[in-house]
Amino acid sequence: MATSIEDMRKSRKVLAGYDYEQAGVEKGYTGKTLYINISDYTIKPKDVTEEMKDIFIGGKGFGLWYLWNGIKPETKWNDPENEIVISSGPIGGITQYPGSGKSLVVTLSPLTKSIMDSNVGGFFGPYLKFSGWDALEIQGKSEKDIVVFIDGDKGRVTIEEVDIDPAASHLVSEQLTELLAENEKDKKNISIVSSGSGGENTNIGILNFSFYDLRRKAARMKQAGRGGIGTVFRDKKIAALAVKFSSLSGRSNNPADPAKVAKTGVKITREINKFDAEQFRMRQIGTANLMTPMNDYDLLPVHNFKYGSHPDAVGISSDTLRDRFTQNMPDGCWVGCALSCCKAVDNFELKTGPYKGDKVLVDGPEYENAAGLGANCGIFDADYVIEANFYCDTYGIDTISTGTLIAFAMECYENGIIDKKITGGLELNFGNADAAMELIHQMGQGKGFGKIAGQGVRRMKQIFAEEYGADPAFLQDIGMENKGLEYSQYQAKESLAQQGGYAMTNKGPQHDEAWLIFMDMVNNQLPTFEKKAEALHYFPMFRTWFGLMGLCKLPWNDIIPEGNSQTESPEKIPEHVQNYIDIFNAVTGKNIDQDEMIRQSERVYNFQRIFNLRLGFGTREHDAAPYRALGPVTEEEYESRIERYDNQLKEDVGIDPSGMSIAEKVKAMRKYREGRYETLIDVVYDRRGWTKNGVPKLEKIKELGIDFPEVVDVVKKNL
Amino acid sequence: MIEVNGKKVEWEKDMTVEKLLKKMNFTFPKIVVRVNGKVIEKSDWQDYPIPDQSVVQAHHLIAGG
Ligand code: SF4
Repeated sequence: MATSIEDMRKSRKVLAGYDYEQAGVEKGYTGKTLYINISDYTIKPKDVTEEMKDIFIGGKGFGLWYLWNGIKPETKWNDPENEIVISSGPIGGITQYPGSGKSLVVTLSPLTKSIMDSNVGGFFGPYLKFSGWDALEIQGKSEKDIVVFIDGDKGRVTIEEVDIDPAASHLVSEQLTELLAENEKDKKNISIVSSGSGGENTNIGILNFSFYDLRRKAARMKQAGRGGIGTVFRDKKIAALAVKFSSLSGRSNNPADPAKVAKTGVKITREINKFDAEQFRMRQIGTANLMTPMNDYDLLPVHNFKYGSHPDAVGISSDTLRDRFTQNMPDGCWVGCALSCCKAVDNFELKTGPYKGDKVLVDGPEYENAAGLGANCGIFDADYVIEANFYCDTYGIDTISTGTLIAFAMECYENGIIDKKITGGLELNFGNADAAMELIHQMGQGKGFGKIAGQGVRRMKQIFAEEYGADPAFLQDIGMENKGLEYSQYQAKESLAQQGGYAMTNKGPQHDEAWLIFMDMVNNQLPTFEKKAEALHYFPMFRTWFGLMGLCKLPWNDIIPEGNSQTESPEKIPEHVQNYIDIFNAVTGKNIDQDEMIRQSERVYNFQRIFNLRLGFGTREHDAAPYRALGPVTEEEYESRIERYDNQLKEDVGIDPSGMSIAEKVKAMRKYREGRYETLIDVVYDRRGWTKNGVPKLEKIKELGIDFPEVVDVVKKNL
Repeated sequence: MIEVNGKKVEWEKDMTVEKLLKKMNFTFPKIVVRVNGKVIEKSDWQDYPIPDQSVVQAHHLIAGG
């Protein structure tokens, strides 16, 4: 491998090139998509049609549409025709409104074998657009490692061989940024997408999207984390994607009404400046602000989601993590984000692994990392969480899946399902930070037990049952995956609505569709099935919208405007919803209202559901949840919250628990909870316009205007 | 007896908003409290009395994931 940037420069060998004239951005769109086939080195533009803009809007919508056309129903994730599509969205790239620089990535997942989408920060999506492309569609499979360069300044795209080691994402980002920049200041004009050796060795590979931090002089990274997109990336032998665009300005997105965009942005930026410190402290702690309240309200996953709190959680509490973050540094993952939640630990000295002794910058840890890698594995040590976070990112493996799958392996180990012989000597007890760290290295490097664990919980369940004689029913109960994707890090046992918010999703149990725990469990705002179903309609649709636009969800409800509590639906943050409508109209020149906003999402959401059907998924059986997500699986779990569960048996189920054994109580509770979950599915499907089997009805897709012949065909086959 | 977030809770003599939140273990810093429909500002929680039979809403404005 090249030992210097100069050597790397000399090693560049152009395999294919394409010169283009930038179309320019008009009201949030360039009207062009960049198609690249890395099997035969095709590079060509594709037109973005008005119909695409009307129906699929952008971002995830474009990704789904290209993938639908690019693959066949029988395509597998590692077939050459699988695609990786990256697109921001019409709002993506504006600098006036916080949280407007996201990219959406869509592919066929190695974990779920179905559609995966991920929303990620960093500069790539906006720079891609301003370089002339609404989306980047990559198909094919290269025989050797390649890098794709998009030079938005010169209007040139190249596929190149470069002497670079793709194993460590933090180095790939740093080195390619260095390679492309003319000077230090120029580095902010570059964004790199890369994965890492974990992308090659596991099914949970991620994509890191870089953004250059001028004050820290470092290429920082945000993650498209869920569902193994990095695994697809490395399977295609893409070492990295790089984009350069040097003329960013407040007008780059060329909105129809720039004054309106600016005015709306100023309003919320003032709110953030005024209220953040007394509300969620996003600028001080980022999403890690959730650690303490989650533990206080028994919602922090502990020991593979058995429990919701732990007395040692103070070791990774919000304030403990805050004290580790470097404060007063620019922490936005896109220009103009006043919420600036991307916290970092500077000069962290690594104690293990290939970079032991190095002082590195660690982006995060965010809530999910601390909750999953820490609490869920029974490890309440901030140093461990920071180090594990660093290695997951640089190996390119998903911190959320890693946390959940290690926790699962630990519970299996403690139950004697796997032993030291199988784990290669790792004592995977809850709380064993050294063993967990070693397992992360093994996954990242494709060694030992890491080769099994890195395949994910669903595959581990299969292997443990088939090869080690474990009880498949017990593994199904405690293996926290749905659709093949590992659960993200919230304890949902006491919120039926959140159970649905996790398992009745398009891509699997990620909380980005609906996060209803407090509304449901604590505030009791959703006391009936109908209210829960309404929330499980509205919020997934509303939140899908962010992914069509290139937006971050956080500035929607992680800052609360004055007077919000006096509104009819404070949980919807009506003023911010109106901001989004104003911004969309101001950028595109269209004139949508709240109803149309939800319909825009509904079209894409239902299309994604039908896409799942086309691939053999998407029906009711795929919305089933492991019982651990619904209630106490074991007697130990029941006993840990015995007063709560006994009360529920008495008051909610109508059974007198006195005189019942714990085993009988567990059984009675299970029958009740599973029954309620099934009822919830019925009511939610009905609200969404789906059949009892979860198939969108023909009249629904007609009403939404997505009744293209091939879509109708798929639906009819499933009715 | 009073109702808090739709659930029955034992009323106690001299109950204030602050005492009720403590009893419920509602530690989250951003809660909107309504007593019989009226929003009670945080600065008044310490003294604001909760009469028996009250209907209280303590809505946690937590953004979450
Ligand atoms: S709120 Fe945080 S994640 Fe969202 S855009 Fe701003 S800095 Fe990025």
